[in-house]
Order: sequence, then C-alpha cells, then structure tokens
Amino acid sequence: MPGDVISRFASVRLGTRGNQRKENGFGQVNGHHGEILQGVFPDDAGRLHRGLVTLPCNIVSSTAVFRPAPGNLVTVPDDKLKAAEAARLTLDSLGLHDQGGHLTVESTIPVGLGMGSSTADVVAAIRAVADAHGAALGADEVARLAVRAETASDSIMHGDLAVLFTQREGIVLEHLGPALPPLEVLSVNTAPGALVDTVKQPPADYDEWEVQAFRPLRGMLRRAIRTGDTALLGRVATASARISQRHLPKPAFEEINGIAASAGALGIQVAHSGTVVGLLFDPRNPATARHVAEAAARLDTIGLPPARHFRTDAVEVRHVA
Amino acid sequence: MSLEMTMSQPQSRETRGFPDYELPRLVRLTDNLHGTAFFLMKLLPARHMLDRAAADGRLKPGGTICETTSGTFGLALAMLAAVRGYKLILVSDPAIDEHLHKRLLELGATLEIVEKPYEIGGFQTARLDRLRATLEVNPGSFCPSQYGNADNPRAYAEVAEQIAERLGHVDCLVGTVGSGGSMSGIARFLRHLNPDLHVIGVDTPNSVVFGQPDGKRLLRGLGNSLVPPNVDHRQFDEIHWVGAAEAFLATRRLHQHHALYQGGTSGAAYLVADWWARTHPDRKVVTLFPDEGHRYVASIYNDDWLAALPGWTGVLPEAPQLVAHPSDVRPSWSSYRWDRRTLDKVLAEGTSFARDLAEAA
Ligand SMILES: Cc1ncc(COP(=O)(O)O)c(C=O)c1O
Repeated sequence: MPGDVISRFASVRLGTRGNQRKENGFGQVNGHHGEILQGVFPDDAGRLHRGLVTLPCNIVSSTAVFRPAPGNLVTVPDDKLKAAEAARLTLDSLGLHDQGGHLTVESTIPVGLGMGSSTADVVAAIRAVADAHGAALGADEVARLAVRAETASDSIMHGDLAVLFTQREGIVLEHLGPALPPLEVLSVNTAPGALVDTVKQPPADYDEWEVQAFRPLRGMLRRAIRTGDTALLGRVATASARISQRHLPKPAFEEINGIAASAGALGIQVAHSGTVVGLLFDPRNPATARHVAEAAARLDTIGLPPARHFRTDAVEVRHVA
Repeated sequence: MSLEMTMSQPQSRETRGFPDYELPRLVRLTDNLHGTAFFLMKLLPARHMLDRAAADGRLKPGGTICETTSGTFGLALAMLAAVRGYKLILVSDPAIDEHLHKRLLELGATLEIVEKPYEIGGFQTARLDRLRATLEVNPGSFCPSQYGNADNPRAYAEVAEQIAERLGHVDCLVGTVGSGGSMSGIARFLRHLNPDLHVIGVDTPNSVVFGQPDGKRLLRGLGNSLVPPNVDHRQFDEIHWVGAAEAFLATRRLHQHHALYQGGTSGAAYLVADWWARTHPDRKVVTLFPDEGHRYVASIYNDDWLAALPGWTGVLPEAPQLVAHPSDVRPSWSSYRWDRRTLDKVLAEGTSFARDLAEAA
C-alpha cells in the first residue's frame, strides 16, 4: 500500500524533526492549461499506461490553509469534497487518524475547463495538511495521495518540471527535462457555460493505431524539450489535439486550427478532458505580438474571443485588445 | 481487443526477442539525406504481429505459426520462433536461396517447398493453396499474413518514434514497397506530425502494386504480383519504378561512397532518395535500408554476376524518366506523380493509349 509507505516515511520525518505542528499549515499550487500530449505510453517493460504532459499556466492557482484540531475535519467551502478527502487521506497517512481540523481552500482556477481546478484544490490541501504537521512530502508522495483522493490527477504537483505523468497512478513514467521550452499561449474556451466533469468522463478508448501513434509524438517531444525547439512542440501538441478530437471533440476545432495556422502559430493544444484550446506562439519570435493580435481578432469574428494570454514561464496576465 | 485489455497484457520486453536488433542505425549520408540502416527490418513487424496474436489468444504458448514466404520475413519469424518456443512451418518454392534455406532449418523451421507452379497464378497461387492446406492440417495454428495484417504497418510506430526523436522535422520519406507495411506505416505516423510530408514509394517494373502489369522481376523484396491490402496508396505523393540492374549498381554505390553494406532494396531506395535530396537541397530526407548485404555476396556484390545481367550497362542514370501514367513505365528508372490517390483512381485515368484516343476525339 502506498499510503503505508508514506506514513512510515512521514512519521520518520516527524520524529527526526520533532513535533513541528503549526497553528496554520499553508499549501499552494499553480493551475495548468490542459496538455501538450495525452495518450497511452509504454513503460520500460513495455506495459502501457495512460499518461500526459501538462502545459503549465502559472497565472492561476489554488491556495489552502489548514488549522489542525482534534476531532472532525471541516472544509470551507463545504463543496470542495475532493480537497476534504485529500486532507483526510493525508492525515491518515501521517498516522493522525483521530486528528481533524479546519481546511480553507481558495482558487482562481476556473472550474470545468480542464485547467486543473480539482487537482489544484487537492494538492493545495495535501500540502497545507503536511505543512501544518511539519511533514515535507515529495511530489511523488503528493501525487499518490492526490490520485487516491480523486482517481485521476494532473501533474501540477511537479511544478514546471516536464514529466510524462500517469494520471491514474500518480507516477512519473519519464522525466523529460527541467521545463518545456517557453511558449506564449492564447487561450480560448470553446464551450463557455458548459462544464466538463473531468473525473466522471470515461477514459478515452484509443484504437490500436492511436495507441501506436503516441510513440512518435513522444519521440518528437523528447527532442523538442532537449533542443528547446518550440516548432516541434507545436507539432506534437497539434497531433495530440487531433487524436483527442475523436474522443472529446472541441466545437470549432478546425476553425481554430485554421486561424492558428494562418496567423503564424506553432500549433494548438487542448485540454484533453476539458474545453480550453491554446494557440501556441514562440515568445522569441519578434513577429509574435503581431501574430497574437491577428489571431485574437480572427477568433473574435467566429464568436470565440480569447479569454487569456500568458507565457508559460511568466506569471503576469496580459489583456487582449 | 479493447484498450483496457490491451493495457493489462504483458508487453514484448517481458518476453524474449531482439529489441536492439529491431531498430535501424541512423547514418547521415549528405547534408540533407539520412539513411536508416536495418539489420533485418522484418524483425520489427514479425515481433509485433506475434506479440499481438499472443496477447489476444490467436497464438498459444508453444503453438504453431504457418506462413508463405521465401524472404526476410521468414527469417525474422524463424528467429523469433526459435527463442520463443513456437513451431514454424514456412511454405516456399524452389527459388528460395540455398543458404537461407539452411539457416531456416537450423533455426528449427519446417519448410514446405511447392515444386510446381500453377498454369494460372504461378507459384504465388500454388503457395497460397499449400498454405491453406497446411493451416487445415494444423488446427489452431496462427498465420501472420503480413500482406493484410494491420499489425504490420502499426509495428513501425517505433521507427517513426526514432526518426522523430533523432531527426525532428523531416520533409521527405523514401522507401521500397513490398507488403507496404513499412512505408504505409511510417508515412501515416509521421504525417500525423507533419501533414506536408512528401512520401516517395519505390517499386520495380512488372510489379502490380502501383499499376504495372504483372511480369518477371529480378529485384526481390519490393514489388509484388498481387496488391497487398497493407499498401495504403493514398499515403504516396510520388512513385518510382527502379529496374534490377540500376538497383544493384546503386547498392554498390551506397557501399563505395558511404560504406554501408546493404541489400538490393536499400540500393533502390538510395538511388531515388539521393536524387530527391540533390534536387531539393534545403529539405531533409530520410530513407529506409531494410536489410544487410551478406545474403547477396554471390550476386549483387559479385562483378561477374552483375556483368552477366540482361541490360547491364554499368552506368547509373542521373534522373528518372517522368511518365504520364503507370502503364507508360519503361524497364528502367521511371517516376510518376501519384498525388495521394487510390490505385483505382489512378487506373481509371486509363492508359496513355486511351488518353490519346480521348484527346483525339
Ligand atoms: C529486403 C526487403 N526490402 C524491402 C521490403 C519491403 O518492405 P515492406 O514489406 O514493408 O513493404 C522487404 C519486404 O519483404 C524486404 O524483404
């Protein structure tokens, strides 16, 4: 049981560091903007796993504060059920079965777009509970707790690290590099108002060609990250988006793709279990500002004005004219 | 088989095989031309087809595999059958290479040699009939059927992965077409990452794969007397037909100029890829070299044997002859703009004779 391993780990840490219980524990994590790549991938033994590579979006985040207390666990707001479950699992894994407390979760991540709102609440809660008890949980431990709390998790507990992450197991299948090459992203919500429950959706039933087609995408992604080649990154993202289109189709996909291609974008990427689509641009290209403005204007004419514009390596928000 | 079932199956690396022999070595031949030199390309599709069949129960542990082949696919099956403990029956004809025959026997395969060709359908049909009979007397045996089995093209995702990882963006893919597995497979995978990929298939005169009438062919491994379902004609932008003498001479050039000791289909692919790379110097080209030269010591690598070939000139043409229709193909290097059409569509455009008539009318 992974939980037992974590609890053994954690109690050792609690023991060596003394009982460092704090008045308030604090946890925070950034959201994301869907994936560069999502599919099924073989491990070293050739066994297949569902996996993904997240596109970070550091301009949105979830924050949690945990105040330990004996007895019940109270969560505010009380509809953050998965965050509450994650806090409970974390307490149990620390061996604190009788311990409860007060958990507050706040988030700037929009819900239901596939930008990681659920996992962010869960990860922030796990970190806050751990912090309150002086336990420093590693990203792998956080990932395993998150997956137990919500069945499938995004890889945001790994921060900007570029990892191929198995969202239903919480393990890193491959470390691809310290980060993706920086991208400028123009974000479109293709279904405003329609919420996608990212966990209730059945996992994509890829056909046998698709199962194999993820291999060259992974190969090109390795090279894109190793050499900082944003053009290759755009190709991988677009190819993954095309496969996703057969499983969770985005409205106006072809129109958006056409606008991206004609406006000089590197490609597009999608939230494979959400509604957002990102047009990807190269921040090092001097023409990017003009390309972005052109794409934004054309998206506006098809009734999909971009909601956000951000750089994956920066935190400031820019407003689209 | 559903995805969930596929995911719960043990995969190849848990069973015995030759993973480090399956993938090619990449060699840069010129600024913009890259070769992928295989030890034995067919190991990859053979292993994948056996894995998939073992996973869904078509092939039982210790079971029997039956196939008709006289070439490298049989050798790949024999190598895998030997280390995985399968019984292998190969149906072939008297044209099978003597050394290959011995090697297959040493690997434990049983060879059934069809002695006489049919009056209609020749050895090909006679071998297919014998295969059918062999499958009947060995109930429960597995026939990989490389011409129609969709696991053949799908196996090449690993080559596409290697090309994408090592070379990144590629503009043009060139390779020979026999079963169609390698070129149709790699082209479709790479095109998913690059819709503009230019794909050139290399065939040989008297092969029906791209619309020539059937006839005798000296160059083996590429071309066919039937159209394999695994040839996805719509993947190809351009088709070239390379004659045996040119292919063999190009095979020697590949060795003389680039120190790559490969088989005859590698030479045919090299001839076409080198021409395209020279005429498109700003585009990155990758080409497939399916097997090594050791099996051809007495033929392609023997000057006396070459000099005795019909039509041997010892000179390589500089460029192909562009033809207006596959039926116009001559015995030597020709090319045609296939434009990603189906075979039916291309054939419906008729022969040049029919077009001349139409124009005259
Ligand atoms: C030596 C050699 N080259 C090329 C090919 C053609 O490859 P494919 O069957 O994938 O079209 C073959 C096929 O048997 C072969 O044996």
